[in-house]
Amino acid sequence: MSKTYEEINDKIKAKKAVVCTAEEVIDLVREKGAEKASEEVDVITTGTFGAMCSSGAFLNFGHATPPIRMTNILLNGVPAYGGLAAVDTYIGAAQMTEDPAGGYGGGHVIEDLIAGKRVHLRAWGPGTDCYVRKSIEADISLDDINEAYLYNPRNSYQNYGIATNTSSRTIYTYMGKLLPRMRNITYSSAGQLSPLLNDPHCDVTGIGTKIFLAGGEGYVAWQGTQFNTANEEVNGVPVGGSRTLALIGDMKGMDSSYVRGLDISGYGTSIALGVGIPLPVLDADVMRRAAISDEEIFSDMLDYSLPSGRKPMARYSYAQLRSGKVEYEGRSIRTSSMSSYAGAKKVAEELKDWIEKGEFTLARPSAPLPREGRLKHLVAKE
Amino acid sequence: MGTKIKIEFDEMNVQESVTYILSTEYGLKPNVLKAEIKDDSSGIMILTLEGDQSKIDEAAEGLRSKGFTVSSLERHILRDKARCFSCGACLSLCPTKSFTFDEKTWEVHLDIDTCIACGSCVTGCPVKALRLNL
Ligand code: SF4
Ligand code: SF4
Repeated sequence: MSKTYEEINDKIKAKKAVVCTAEEVIDLVREKGAEKASEEVDVITTGTFGAMCSSGAFLNFGHATPPIRMTNILLNGVPAYGGLAAVDTYIGAAQMTEDPAGGYGGGHVIEDLIAGKRVHLRAWGPGTDCYVRKSIEADISLDDINEAYLYNPRNSYQNYGIATNTSSRTIYTYMGKLLPRMRNITYSSAGQLSPLLNDPHCDVTGIGTKIFLAGGEGYVAWQGTQFNTANEEVNGVPVGGSRTLALIGDMKGMDSSYVRGLDISGYGTSIALGVGIPLPVLDADVMRRAAISDEEIFSDMLDYSLPSGRKPMARYSYAQLRSGKVEYEGRSIRTSSMSSYAGAKKVAEELKDWIEKGEFTLARPSAPLPREGRLKHLVAKE
Repeated sequence: MGTKIKIEFDEMNVQESVTYILSTEYGLKPNVLKAEIKDDSSGIMILTLEGDQSKIDEAAEGLRSKGFTVSSLERHILRDKARCFSCGACLSLCPTKSFTFDEKTWEVHLDIDTCIACGSCVTGCPVKALRLNL
């Protein structure tokens, strides 16, 4: 039996849609099989809440009198891009204040704005015949600027590598604090709840898919950067970082409980965002793929003390990783997650709630994501 | 685990062997968890004491009479719960396994009683929600 987007949306509008999280469908499919489960369930919700370094926001401040063409812009001391038209800017989550020890960056500016806080703007311009002003200071909030939307070039990574450190000193990486001599390992995917691990070939996720982005509504805008389909697959899903999504969404509808400015010691600033994608249960295959569990999703462990040429050292399932420890060459190593599984669950639950209440309908993608993508490497000049 | 105490000292008593006094004069079993001495010779020592509570009280009085400040360790690690988003980065950094996941919600719990104030988790937290309060 198959369903259409229209049928599912009609049920949502009538508040009759049956919605399950990607966690709930695991047991349902084990119990009843994918065929039966797909008849019962209309929508499956996924979720993830972790670091999404390639994120940022487009802002338009509005014009002052007299107006200024901003070429150098600081928001709470964090530089924002000055190469767009007069009062447009883009602030990247990984941008730091001039003093990198400050622990405050673009991700924190975005969190503060979404939390309704005022942010201090300082900007300078060359002063031209049409834009005579040369500098400006203002306190802005989300309410009193024009547009404010996240546009994140690479979010929601489909799986990711596991990090460890074989060296004799503690190293501080974007995968967290790694203790010497492999005394811990870190991992970062939401596994069985992660959007792209439940729709591994993007069969029902495409450009224009409506999503949960940081507590508001957003859309899949494009394939994410470093979109890669070339990795080995086990149980139908890739091992290690593969597909990614570019996401867009209005900051004015977002909820700061799904946003965290990050200060990753030794690496820099970033942002953690809650992202959830609804999967329409068009047929039993959608259900079968979404029923994947942490026991069936694998990732390879890499040595982050090596500057390059990291080779897989061991392979673990997310069930093993989430148990708190894994075995390596006869010894037990403790694990840490970098993304919040509690947060991933909350995202999937909240999106489920919106759909059940008839507040969130599904959007059919306007174009598919690429079937293929390969990573190119940057060749440095000798 | 024993009783956790904090002893503060300054240049007047920095050279006294606190652990020797605790074991020989009061029959206690001290275990130093952390000792920090600053450039001005003041500092703090965090230790656990095993033995009778009456002896621990006596020892505390005895050390106070030598000019040490002795206090029990309370709220020695602080977590900003509103900022913590239960990522779990702290779990494998803690030598005493003071952080655990809630089995149902996967929220991260902190057991302050087992924390030995080593500070390992503080730099590992990506939202800087953890702080030592010594
Ligand atoms: S590392 Fe920080 S944010 Fe993450 S669970 Fe621990 S205290 Fe919470
Ligand atoms: S300070 Fe040390 S012992 Fe205390 S919670 Fe943090 S890592 Fe654990």
